[in-house]
Amino acid sequence: MNLKPVYRALLRLYPEDYRLFFAAEMLGAFGRASEEQRARGRLAYGRFVCVELVVLAVNVPVEWMAKVSTSSSIRARSLPDLRMMRPAGVPRELWFASARTMSAPAPDEIEEAEQRVEFCLRRMEHAIATHDFPGARFYSNEDLKAREKLRQLRPKSGLGE
Amino acid sequence: MLRQDVPESKPLSEPVLLILASLAAGPRHGYALMKDIEALSNGRVRMGTGTLYGALRRLLEEQWIERFEQEDTSREKQAYRLTAEGRRKLEFEVERMKQVTRAASARLRTKEA
Repeated sequence: MNLKPVYRALLRLYPEDYRLFFAAEMLGAFGRASEEQRARGRLAYGRFVCVELVVLAVNVPVEWMAKVSTSSSIRARSLPDLRMMRPAGVPRELWFASARTMSAPAPDEIEEAEQRVEFCLRRMEHAIATHDFPGARFYSNEDLKAREKLRQLRPKSGLGE
Repeated sequence: MLRQDVPESKPLSEPVLLILASLAAGPRHGYALMKDIEALSNGRVRMGTGTLYGALRRLLEEQWIERFEQEDTSREKQAYRLTAEGRRKLEFEVERMKQVTRAASARLRTKEA
């Protein structure tokens, strides 16, 4: 029995930022270790599965505790804040230009639109990381709508594109 | 209270020691680390995937290890390597263990004599 899909589903119990950076690696390592143990026989495979499930049951609460009890500056060393990362396909000049304009005071409506763009981007990246492709498509469409709204709002408030 | 950096004198846990020892030989990704740790401990320690990545997360936070980009780096095969600080911690721990071993051996010899 292939337990990789079950393990992938169980990885959703971890905090979102942890999952985004480690879930794919963990699943890969689990898959390879699982194949190796299965080749050793039923007993070894059963023991391996039990150990992995117990470790997961212990580690999930530990990681949630770590998330709430660790200061964000220290946590960012292992799990970088996605809002600070330049998304794929956005040129460096454009990204840093928009970062400069963000320091200027923006009207509420623009700020809200910017937050919506950030939110959609995070959800889309998360959906991709967890192989939820319908979800990724949905947030990709939402991201386009939010960016279009932001594009229309910026000239009205005197800010550039 | 939010957690801050780990104090200097705190002894390393076995998983952390084994991970640092494994990475001292060069960068490795998760599965390679699991295999190497098993070999390093003569098959005594088989680290679970969750244990390994929990420890890697903490070591990244302490800045004792860092992510390392390789030519074939994929989402499933992210490599890690020791930082200068991580190497220093490992050397410190090895020295501490040597001291304990020397003291324990001396006591045993005294008892035998």
